Amino acid sequence: MEEVKTYIESGILELYVLGEVTQEERAQVEAMALKHPAIKAELDEIEKSLESYAFENAVEPSESQRDKILNSLLTNFSDDRNFPSHKVETTDNVIPFERISNGNFYKYAFAACFALLVVSIAALVSVYNHLEQSNTLLASLQTQNQHFSNRVNLMDHELGVFRDPSFKLLKLQGTKKSPASVLTVAWSPAKKKVMIDMANANMPANDQDHQYQLWALVAGKPVDLGVFDADTASKDMKEMKSIASADAFAVTLEPRGGSPAPHLDEMMVIGKF
Amino acid sequence: MSKKRKISLSEEELVLALRQREKIAVEALYDMYSASLFGVIVRIINDTAIAEDVLQDTFVKIWNSFQSYSTEKGRLFTWMVNIARNLAIDKIRSKDFKNQGKNQELENNVTFIDEQRNTVYKPELLGIKELVETLKPEQKSILDLVYFKGYTHVEAADELGVPLGTIKTRLRMAIIQLRKHFN
Repeated sequence: MEEVKTYIESGILELYVLGEVTQEERAQVEAMALKHPAIKAELDEIEKSLESYAFENAVEPSESQRDKILNSLLTNFSDDRNFPSHKVETTDNVIPFERISNGNFYKYAFAACFALLVVSIAALVSVYNHLEQSNTLLASLQTQNQHFSNRVNLMDHELGVFRDPSFKLLKLQGTKKSPASVLTVAWSPAKKKVMIDMANANMPANDQDHQYQLWALVAGKPVDLGVFDADTASKDMKEMKSIASADAFAVTLEPRGGSPAPHLDEMMVIGKF
Repeated sequence: MSKKRKISLSEEELVLALRQREKIAVEALYDMYSASLFGVIVRIINDTAIAEDVLQDTFVKIWNSFQSYSTEKGRLFTWMVNIARNLAIDKIRSKDFKNQGKNQELENNVTFIDEQRNTVYKPELLGIKELVETLKPEQKSILDLVYFKGYTHVEAADELGVPLGTIKTRLRMAIIQLRKHFN
């Protein structure tokens, strides 16, 4: 018992309770406490008195700490079997953002624009070609139209000659020099107009150096009424120089440009009223 | 939760409930011991916010390593207060805490804390004056240095300039006085 008393009085038990002992001292104190109930009882007394001292000097932590600390224990260190009321919410309410692919969008947009441009240019070229064709066609149609219009006017004019009662038609017959030749002359003394109808004419073609010249015989004297060419192409009526009165008409072959006086031996056709 | 609904169990019931990891055990543990543990922690640390963090760490460690506590080794509170004291000492010795430069003089410590906080004393506290008179100043200073300031008894000997044997004797005498007082 003396040993126990000395051990108690050494102060080691107080240091043990205060955590102020080494590992070996701790093991020693615990062994002694097991061996001697008096030491165990002494330890218990020391612990109780220090616990009471701590209670005397207690300081309340702030109100909010209770929930904070209890929650941290129950959520972080519990397992859910023991605390079913504190199940951790695992619902995933995170909405992932879609990756915004701006780069791709602009790439595709550019490609689309480029394709559209190519198609547009092709369409434009095609339409332009059609327009060109149409313009050409329109021009040719206009030319044709003009041609027809001219022709209609001319024929109207020619028809007018035949309708006009003031025109006298005289068929000039071929002479001995050219018996087959025929030329119709229309003459209106009132309007002083002389026309020759090339459509009905049948005159030998003249060469480059010569032209036919129409003459009117007025009181036995020849009057120049102008020159003309005889060829198969001309089929219209030709208006010659005007004259108010005439007894007969004749055509001679003269040097190109005409002559002041007719070469009577070159007379091709003649007709008298 | 209000203080009126504080849960209190006997130490045996509490230890059993903690072993079975019941929710009520955690609440009872907090209600029964948070103030006493916090009293120790806040006296060591002197900063209420940091002390509250350490209090949380303390409960986490108690709860997490409860299987290492055995009734044969001593009372539950002794085990817990040593955890709290060690965590608090670790905290004040940590780099970030030292940088705060908030350490206070020992002499001002207890009264400083009491002035700083509206300490809630228990009814028994009416006897505190008597208790202070019971403890001789040299007994109280050594007890508070070791118990509430986290000094080792070797450091306390240096601090007070007395031999190690004297420290041990005074510590023992102080505790004997406490035992007399509380019995």
